[in-house]
Amino acid sequence: MKALMSVGALVGAIALLLLVGMILDVVPSNTVRLVEGYMPIQMLLEVACFVAGFTGLSYMLSSMGMAVPRFWQGIGFWAFVLLYLKFRVYPPIPFSVRAMYGTVSLVAVFMWVSANEDDWKKFKQPIMNVLDAQSGANKMLRYAYLVLIPVLVGFTSFNAMRPKSEEPVELRTVHPAPPASTKVHGKTYTLQTSQNPYRVNPEGKFDQEYSNKLIVEQGMGRLMAPNANPFDEKNQGYLKYVKEGGEIFFQNCHFCHGDNLNGRGLHAFAFNPIPANFTDPGTIAQLQETFIFWRVAKGGIGLPNEGFPWASVMPPWEQHLTVDEIWKVILFEYWHTGYYPRTWD
Amino acid sequence: MNTSMGKKAGIVLASAFGLALFSAGPLVLTASAEDVPQGFKKGELAPEPAADMIEAGKRVYFTKCVWCHGVDGAGDGPGADRLWPRPRNFNQGTFKIRHTASGELPLFDAKKPTPGQNDLFETVTHGLPGSAMPSWEGILTEEQRLQVLSFVTTQLVKDRKFTDKQSESQTILQLADLKPKEATEESKKRGSELIVEKKCVECHGMEGRGDGNAFNLKDDWGFSIQPANWHKCWNFRGSRQDPYNVKNIFRTFSTGVNGTPMPSFADSTSVDDRWDIANFVNSLCERDPEGNPLSIDPQTDKPKVNFVLPSNPVEGEIPMDMENEAWQKTQKRLIAMGGQITHKPRNFVNRIDDLWVRSLYNEKSIVYLIEWDDRTKSVAEGKLPWAPTQVNIDVKEQDPKTGEEGSIAAHQNNYAVYNDAVAIETPVKWQDLPAPIKPRYLFGSNEQYPVDIVKWEADGSFRAFKGTGWDKDFEERDSYEENLKVLKSEWKNGRWYVMLQRPVGNKKDQDYDEDTLFEMGKYIPTVFFAWDGHNGDAGRKMAVSAFYYTFMQPPTPREVYIYPFVIAGGIVLLEAWVLTRRANKRKGKTL
Repeated sequence: MKALMSVGALVGAIALLLLVGMILDVVPSNTVRLVEGYMPIQMLLEVACFVAGFTGLSYMLSSMGMAVPRFWQGIGFWAFVLLYLKFRVYPPIPFSVRAMYGTVSLVAVFMWVSANEDDWKKFKQPIMNVLDAQSGANKMLRYAYLVLIPVLVGFTSFNAMRPKSEEPVELRTVHPAPPASTKVHGKTYTLQTSQNPYRVNPEGKFDQEYSNKLIVEQGMGRLMAPNANPFDEKNQGYLKYVKEGGEIFFQNCHFCHGDNLNGRGLHAFAFNPIPANFTDPGTIAQLQETFIFWRVAKGGIGLPNEGFPWASVMPPWEQHLTVDEIWKVILFEYWHTGYYPRTWD
Repeated sequence: MNTSMGKKAGIVLASAFGLALFSAGPLVLTASAEDVPQGFKKGELAPEPAADMIEAGKRVYFTKCVWCHGVDGAGDGPGADRLWPRPRNFNQGTFKIRHTASGELPLFDAKKPTPGQNDLFETVTHGLPGSAMPSWEGILTEEQRLQVLSFVTTQLVKDRKFTDKQSESQTILQLADLKPKEATEESKKRGSELIVEKKCVECHGMEGRGDGNAFNLKDDWGFSIQPANWHKCWNFRGSRQDPYNVKNIFRTFSTGVNGTPMPSFADSTSVDDRWDIANFVNSLCERDPEGNPLSIDPQTDKPKVNFVLPSNPVEGEIPMDMENEAWQKTQKRLIAMGGQITHKPRNFVNRIDDLWVRSLYNEKSIVYLIEWDDRTKSVAEGKLPWAPTQVNIDVKEQDPKTGEEGSIAAHQNNYAVYNDAVAIETPVKWQDLPAPIKPRYLFGSNEQYPVDIVKWEADGSFRAFKGTGWDKDFEERDSYEENLKVLKSEWKNGRWYVMLQRPVGNKKDQDYDEDTLFEMGKYIPTVFFAWDGHNGDAGRKMAVSAFYYTFMQPPTPREVYIYPFVIAGGIVLLEAWVLTRRANKRKGKTL
């Protein structure tokens, strides 16, 4: 038990020092990086690690006779949650969301410290001591609070009332509802029934199973399946078209959507919000190929009014690409991210 | 050019050295018997990577890299021709960012991914900012990065061999053992003198904005190349996602950049002098008003952007002098710029990638002070074959097919020169734009919701346009021009300083359907456009920003100074109540 607790304490101390160091820029803020695509699970693991560490720390301290009062444990843990949300989570979450998480964790802390009568007494003891002011130190403290609290509240309200220029929040719909059909280069495509004409086997027949076998593998790196190199000159069917789609992608799309299709292209930093990340399971993996076809062909300007508000400066690619080229690019995007397009059934 | 310059500098230094030795006797500078430049040591060539690493690397290469670097690694993949700088041609074994002496192969060891000892691994890990090469950390595992490099160094580097002891040597900069000199004022001052003495300013310009001799420089493959702009350290290829670290500058200065006109100064400059220069160059990089490094957005590796552009109120006339206190006190905002690649003529390579904007207003006018780095002052020489207001014109674009004749890199610095220019776009009826017609499209939504564009050009003109949709040509407005005023326009040492004034308008006598009304305390969507005349920028071939918000800061209202005191007073009363209650309760208990 003791050994386990000391390991916990060690982990907690190191993690805490690292976090504080990263916040204060003592150690480079990228010492522990957020792994792309695994962010939520990494956050949960980190917080779990911290909680284990705190348990160990408090156990060690109390066994050394330096027990931290329950009051400070509660306050300290709540402060930790707030700091973690503010400084660790990236991209930063807006204040309103942080305030919500903060309230929830405050309630949780209260539930923890008031779990039984004893604990609750222990928790409120310091507050009562100051209120009663039986000792000299507590008297001092009481006067200090008497002055400090009004000053602090006054200052905060002054700050809150001062005219400020924070960026207005604008919501956007990520996947607006598609129309039933779309007309591209003079031909009408019904979204429910259209198929990618290049998702074909070497015999030239539409074959989703065949193409699904040849997409890149999921997992770190998303590498192509062995012996499925699109640059193999003997390729017929699907992989040949993947290569052609890739050529179009790297002549037109990567400037914004990035070399790795993660929305971090050469010009991405100039956008707000940054362009769509296709490697995120929430984008093309959730959609049908025909939906992508409609979005690519019509761009941001082609989005329906019902789908507002949205924010997209994607051009209608039908102005630059032929229908065949659009289908090939879509083929490439699914191949490169290793996702299967959703089907209508 | 590389070696000859190094040699010349070497001779000069050697003679200077001789004199110094005579006068000062035993000096700290001691050239070793091997004739290694100061701060360097001879190293061993790394062993050849294992065959399975090479084979596995091929799989990584043909998934991720081939699209730009090409099937044979000649830097001619499908993406290459629309990029500038072009992707690296691996065949010659010429690599820019190294710890090794000028002309040598970079450090690479497939078994040792140690920072500072594995140049190619660090390049793949951190990417090359300012080019299309992204950071592959978090995308490829460490193992995968080492694998792909094993493939590249053994199979795609064709003219040289990383393991050939006969022809290759490694003279390695001992950066880990060299302690950076403190960046004192004295050191920086010495650095500022040295960059003139060492002729750095001939290419990098008097203020280090990369504007010196910008036109005659070519890389080993004959493509046009530009000297680095020292004020944008986040665009340094060798910045390793740590742009304000002086060691990166020291390294590049010590080892040179292979394949480019940037020589190594190791032979001609003592380590101490190199730190002085690195400290000075590092001090030039943009910082915030307190002098701290700008915070870098880990998502983009560029400075973080704040989308609200505050405009401060002034009483009376808005000062035309940049040094005026009102301007100095106003917060500068970084406006990130990308290429306009949605409508022809498209701009795949925007040479203007950011603007710095400040703003002031009084009751009649609002003034934008726009500063941006542009290596060349361009005033139109030729006449544009189409009207600059036109869109979707049928122009020959860079040939996207592989082959260098039509590529951007082959064209670069050979364009007909047009005007440098900058424009500010604001929607006209921003107050009542319904959400679906939010001014999300650049260039206006439709006839009903147009945008108001004011455009300044380097020939001195300042004109107003109306945009009614991104597919529509701009319409020039004849009468509005007289309301506009250029307070300042100056190009100096690679930077434009332009101060543009326009009316804020008022509800009484303003043509509300044509002009933007600038209201105090409101968020007014604002877009910036910029053109670099020497990049062939004209019409829609330009750099564009996202939507920013001009926010005219209202003076602080009086209530703000009153209410906090009232609230604080209330808190005091509350405290008294709590204390009395507690005291009464205690009394009740004890009694």
